[in-house]
Amino acid sequence: MYRLLGFMSVGVTVILIVSVAIGCGSNRKNIEELAGEGNELRVYEVFGMDCPGCHGGVEKLVNRLNGVIASKANWEKQQLTVVILRTAEITDQMIFDAIKQANFTPGKRLR
Amino acid sequence: MLVLVLGSQAFHHSTAQAGGISIDAGLTPAANRWIFRSQVRILQRNNGPAVPSMKMEAYMFPVMVAYGLRSDAMIMIRQSYMRRVMKTAGESSTSSGLGDLFILGKYRLTRINTSTYTLGIAPTLGIELPTGEDRISSDSYDLRYGILLSGRSNSWGIDLNLTYAWNGIALTDNTDIDPGDEIAVEAAVSRQVSVGETADIAVAPVLESSYQKRDADISNGVRIGNTGESLLLLAPGLKLTRGSFILEGLVQFPIWQDHEGSQTKRQTSVLLGVRLMN
Repeated sequence: MYRLLGFMSVGVTVILIVSVAIGCGSNRKNIEELAGEGNELRVYEVFGMDCPGCHGGVEKLVNRLNGVIASKANWEKQQLTVVILRTAEITDQMIFDAIKQANFTPGKRLR
Repeated sequence: MLVLVLGSQAFHHSTAQAGGISIDAGLTPAANRWIFRSQVRILQRNNGPAVPSMKMEAYMFPVMVAYGLRSDAMIMIRQSYMRRVMKTAGESSTSSGLGDLFILGKYRLTRINTSTYTLGIAPTLGIELPTGEDRISSDSYDLRYGILLSGRSNSWGIDLNLTYAWNGIALTDNTDIDPGDEIAVEAAVSRQVSVGETADIAVAPVLESSYQKRDADISNGVRIGNTGESLLLLAPGLKLTRGSFILEGLVQFPIWQDHEGSQTKRQTSVLLGVRLMN
């Protein structure tokens, strides 16, 4: 019984890994394209990201804000690009709070 | 004892995206973020040219799930499946099954992010429950506490773990052996090298070093012979990050080891793993 459970957990693990790995990175929206559709594009400094794995954490929290269409982080440039619906009322402080929740520190708004 | 030593090395801290591989000293993940991690570890021990010859091979498949309760606190659960083959004087025996369940909490005491560096400190507290199968389980409740220090500057990362394992805070009915406590000092240096313009892919060479000491087991107040050891390990590795997916591997070389009595010696071990973050 336990052996079966062990093998099953390994099997499920492999399936999960393969399926998510295939999906990883393939659903990235073209952020510039989205901004070009009449939406607002903002760029913020973000400190504390140290590898691509950090992107998802901050993007997920920023994307939860009502009115955010998409966001894209870049650990190397220490930047977060956010596309916001033109009619949405999203302040910089709301973005800063989301960045902090992701364990990073917001810097200046660059654009 | 062997099972415990193996178990103790199976990524007790496992939340960072950068940093080490087997001795990851990551801070807490973002609030509401899930991290899924799995590894395959292959480890061997033998007693060299001594007679009778003894050899042990262990294959571990630990699976870990971590969740960011808040931005400064996380919980992690780990469950391993293990297969162990012992060969003594031509005879072989195999034991396999689920290992003990490990639950760990981590609190981020401080984290300083600037444009040039990041520094963080996070204490941890965990417990290993004797839920594993008979020949795999430690048969004791083991407490683990430690502190993680994490530093980043540009693309370089340094992580330091100090862990104390208070093994046998309570024993099950299956044993009267109080397993020896363990202490581990572990360090990892890594460098992230970005691939492509979007910075979504990075390759990171990693070099880890760890010192582990385990006290001898005790039964009825008497130290048990051939238990207890000290190890110094060096492990070069490589990590590939693509978005929220990390593929990692390393080879762990024992540089120095000291065993009480006539125990088998640790040989080179291999680790391959993946991490997924949502």
